[in-house]
Amino acid sequence: MTPVPVHLIVNGEAVHLTVPPNRVLLDLLREDLLLTGTKEGCGLGKCGACTVLLDGKPVHACLILALQADGCRVDTIEGMADKREGRLHPLQEAFVEKGAIQCGFCTPGMINTAKALLDENPDPDTEDIKQAIAGNLCRCTGYHKIVDAVSSCACRSHNKSNTRKADNHE
Amino acid sequence: MSEFDVVGKSVPQLAAREKATGDTRFVTDLVLPRMLHGRVLRSPHAHARIISIDTRKAAALPGVRAVVTHADTPKIKFGPRSEDWTIFAEDKARFHGDEIAAVAAVDPDTAEQALDLIQVEYEVLDHVVSPLEALEPGAPLVHEESPGNIAAEFNIEAGDIQKGFDRSHVIYADRFYTNQVYQAYMEPMAVLAETDLSGRVTLHTGTQIPNMMRMTYAKALGMAPENLRIVVPEYGGAFGGKMENNIHLVAAVLSQKAGLPVRLVNTRQEDFLAGNPRVPMYFDIKLGATKEGVLTAKDVRVVGGAGARLVYSQVIVSTACYRVDSLYRFKNVRARGITAYTHTVPTACYRGFGNSQSTFVLESAMDELAAALRIDPAELRMKNGVGPGETSVHGWKIGSSGLRECVEKATRAADWTRKKAEKKPFRGIGLACCNHVSGNRPFAREFDGGSAMVRVGRDGRVMVFHGESDMGQGQNTTYAQIAAETLGVPMAQVHVAQVDTDISPFGLGSFATRGTLMGGNGVMAAARKALEQLKEIAGDHLEADPGKIICKKGEFYDPDNPAQRMAFKEVASLATISRHGAPVVGTGFYKPPTQLPDPDTKKGNISPAYPFGCQIAEVEVDPDTGQVTVTRMAAAHDVGRAINPMATEGQIQGGIAQGLGWTLMEDMAYENGRLVNADFVDYIVPSAFDMPGVESILVEPVEPNGPYGAKGIGEPALNPTMAAITNAIYDATGVRITSLPVNPEQLLAKIREKQGSRC
Repeated sequence: MTPVPVHLIVNGEAVHLTVPPNRVLLDLLREDLLLTGTKEGCGLGKCGACTVLLDGKPVHACLILALQADGCRVDTIEGMADKREGRLHPLQEAFVEKGAIQCGFCTPGMINTAKALLDENPDPDTEDIKQAIAGNLCRCTGYHKIVDAVSSCACRSHNKSNTRKADNHE
Repeated sequence: MSEFDVVGKSVPQLAAREKATGDTRFVTDLVLPRMLHGRVLRSPHAHARIISIDTRKAAALPGVRAVVTHADTPKIKFGPRSEDWTIFAEDKARFHGDEIAAVAAVDPDTAEQALDLIQVEYEVLDHVVSPLEALEPGAPLVHEESPGNIAAEFNIEAGDIQKGFDRSHVIYADRFYTNQVYQAYMEPMAVLAETDLSGRVTLHTGTQIPNMMRMTYAKALGMAPENLRIVVPEYGGAFGGKMENNIHLVAAVLSQKAGLPVRLVNTRQEDFLAGNPRVPMYFDIKLGATKEGVLTAKDVRVVGGAGARLVYSQVIVSTACYRVDSLYRFKNVRARGITAYTHTVPTACYRGFGNSQSTFVLESAMDELAAALRIDPAELRMKNGVGPGETSVHGWKIGSSGLRECVEKATRAADWTRKKAEKKPFRGIGLACCNHVSGNRPFAREFDGGSAMVRVGRDGRVMVFHGESDMGQGQNTTYAQIAAETLGVPMAQVHVAQVDTDISPFGLGSFATRGTLMGGNGVMAAARKALEQLKEIAGDHLEADPGKIICKKGEFYDPDNPAQRMAFKEVASLATISRHGAPVVGTGFYKPPTQLPDPDTKKGNISPAYPFGCQIAEVEVDPDTGQVTVTRMAAAHDVGRAINPMATEGQIQGGIAQGLGWTLMEDMAYENGRLVNADFVDYIVPSAFDMPGVESILVEPVEPNGPYGAKGIGEPALNPTMAAITNAIYDATGVRITSLPVNPEQLLAKIREKQGSRC
């Protein structure tokens, strides 16, 4: 297969690569750019570990060809924190503080999904959050602390009444 | 709670920030210069004779650096317990997924192409998947040297069951089945293997038992253990599933042959096919009680399916035979266990280790006895539950037991009495209890216990070295808390080293809910040894008796003269200088007061502490479809003292999620000997939508043998979930679930049968 050029904006930086046409976005990120924060959990779009944001929308990077992402903005977990300042994104901070991370393999995909949700709906309730993350599997936590972490971000920036909702969730 | 500065506080995992930013390097993320990508060719048949393997075309493909089969291995039979393993199939493939050959190539695509070029000629043979059928006369044999497919047998008896049943007023007997389920840790099994010029092999892999695995693997590779090194990076979950597995040895052989590092990562499908899922078991149980509700006798026959080789299934079956007997005040018990070879993937450890299977069975039977006796199921548990200071029928010395408190608190939280009386159609509530161990003396026969090294550098930075394994549950954080508390320094100053068999102590590993108690006691002992050395230095400088000096919040002082203080860092620096650069190192160990069970009676106190729990489930059953929804769970667990309450709660919630998946959703389905649902498309695990609200309650009787009073929580978090849910289904419908997972169609048919007979 003749390699083809692909142009992407990855975490705000222009990336120009030549890849085989069957290269999936996940392999481009992990193998070509060594952005290993994006995980492969199943390869079939069923676990959500590879979730990245494509023009702001959550997608399974294992199911998207790199070519399909040509010209798009791709945001991965590596682009979320302000590393030079040592400052995490509020969602990342919430996942840490609320105990939403155990083994952490699902975490990058989960956080990306949650970010897309909050970008679209800054004030989701528990059901909205569960709906949003239903495609992201976590085998460690039983999801409660993940839902709490996302809820806490909703209330912190937008809606104080959600604090109670989050507490009741337990 | 305030007696401690660090222990008992909910703190985030040490590695949480790196995990949140994607900086953590998991096994599947590791890259080395000139690293090759490995792939394994697996048997498509459950049972087949291998007539020939032709690897020439694969080896000739440009970019392929090694192709290996059984012929390229030392051909030594080995295994963690029973030497029925080879690295690759020799003359026969014995399960769908069995290792036949492997390749290493410069990139994954080339490796994939090379796999397709390996030609294997098979003669397909008859197979057997069910352990019961495997024991029938004339069943196809898995190993010729094991007639009748009997891999192991276990018998245990205490008291006189005949007398016990004779004085019973009610006896319940039935057959139960617990199925084969997959751990579904999010990171598939993976390994990065490298071989150096001297032939020394290093494996970077996520494993629960780095040190024990090394001994087994050294034998398989025909090398001295010192020529094999195992390093454990962060890894994505295990739940019992990441112990010995041929994938590691395949990578080792590939790297030996290629002379280059080789990364081998299971695809998710391969992980289903060739991981080590839960041991499926049949139980015939007979359980008796007097009319007052006092348990009189228990008799059980267990048949477990080992799959095609023994990993730990025989030990898991023996655990299923008797561990649960120490939950109640049994006097008369008997169990016979048979582990049968079958033509499936080798089965092994999955959270609960046989005790989860038998807890489902016993707690279902307890529910039946309660119904027959018209006694509240909670009361039946309170009446028979083992209490603190008691010795169980198998000689287990129960130190702390919060079992009754767990039942009281869970029933209160669930509003049990009111809801149990309510009897709304198709809604029900069910309760189940559990016990477990915190370490299992007979598992590694040489010793049990824990050890650690605590190194204090000139800068005061504390590094804890242990040989257990943080599989993602947060064990390193627990150890850091224990070390910080013992030394009297803030958490931020304490770090935990990656486990590396070249450096770390010989820890037995993370299984048997032993990490917190065994490893934690080891860390505490090591920290004390380091502290003693620092106190000597502080004593010199403060002109005080080192025996009187304490360290709190990073400062050494004599409580009688608290005005004069020295910072921990200052003392550490002075210590290092006075020793010409040598760091302060404390090495400590914990020897548990346990016994190897007597070989005949199996009596003996196998664990220094025993955790308990009680879970209550509420369910709704759809009268049209038979679909079961768990609407709420209350879970009270006796954890001794929770070192990190947030992490402990996380264990409970995660355990319930896995138990719920097992009860209602998960089943490894075989057709004609082939696993047909080896992916997350057809094998569904719980999502956020499937989880009910969970009220977690920590019951904290201080355990005399635990570090700061702590016991374990990993496995007990799941043990009672299955029966709590199925007992709730019984309450809702009158139908006893005897086989996992719940099949909605069968449940519906049984509900209709009951309704019909009532009309």
